[in-house]
Amino acid sequence: MGTDVIDRYMTDLGSRLQGSKKQVRDLLTETRDSLHDATEAHLDRGLTEQEAKRRAVEEFGPVKEIANEYQAELAVAYGTRTLIWLAIVLPLMHMAWEYGRMLLVGPWQDFGTMPPAWYLFIAKANDLTSGVASGVALVALVLGRILARKYDTKLLAKLAASIAILAVGVVLLGNAAIIAATAHVDASRLMQSLPMSIASLITWTVIVRLGLLARRCLSCATIVA
Amino acid sequence: MKPDALRGHLDALLLATLDGRQLHGYAIIEELQQGSGGALDLPTGTVYPALRRLERAGHVTSDWSTVGGRKRRTYKLTQAGQRALLAERSAWREFTTVIDGVLGGGGKWAQT
Repeated sequence: MGTDVIDRYMTDLGSRLQGSKKQVRDLLTETRDSLHDATEAHLDRGLTEQEAKRRAVEEFGPVKEIANEYQAELAVAYGTRTLIWLAIVLPLMHMAWEYGRMLLVGPWQDFGTMPPAWYLFIAKANDLTSGVASGVALVALVLGRILARKYDTKLLAKLAASIAILAVGVVLLGNAAIIAATAHVDASRLMQSLPMSIASLITWTVIVRLGLLARRCLSCATIVA
Repeated sequence: MKPDALRGHLDALLLATLDGRQLHGYAIIEELQQGSGGALDLPTGTVYPALRRLERAGHVTSDWSTVGGRKRRTYKLTQAGQRALLAERSAWREFTTVIDGVLGGGGKWAQT
């Protein structure tokens, strides 16, 4: 029974899809249901079981074409999920880090000498990156909903992935810049507080995790033909 | 009817099929085929991504529920979907009126 035409179609279709496991499972479950329903309808019309299954698969469409349409939807769904994560996690992470710093280390002025202007500029820019990246993700989510029917799904998936990559990239750059700048001004500040070092490590872990999500978004969006 | 000619209208056809009822994927396909007297010849697999697209646009919501003893994903229109259907119907009437005025016979274009 494992080699009937519906099983072969489902295996072929499943092997071509990439995205959230739940989304893929939902789509495949729905597909199998549909093929079984169509088979039953053809059986009622008097076809043999094998013929009914073959007709059901034939009517469903060429696997490459269907997989392509499914993948576009999976890619856009993955992009949406990633953008939601970015919109929520980035500002929360930044606020938690700043709150922790104020609590454990205190304001930067308490370090003694006032840092140079260029350092304050980098610090200010880094403060803004999380908020800006989160805002861009939010705007992309709203636009994605409005434009869902107006633009090609494949294009929207690629746009969502690009925005996610860009947002994480900017936050990553901001964090790397402030660490490099702090090391240049006074390297001892980087290791002044163990809890803050741990908080920074957690921040980097989250950013890298978001980066991996964004990269997978791009991978889902670019396997669509 | 050729699949390419239908693709541009698939969203509107799906919205119309779901008007006032909740259906699962294959029931929607059957309704489309019956409603067109079997003339709609679209790969049935293209209906599912189209339903997801409508869901993304907020025009349709879906739920897993038990239908006829089997667990199915069923779809229904949202209020935004109802409004979109009204707009689609109005645009279609306008389009067919204009085209019919030219192609439908009786006008000066029909004589040439």
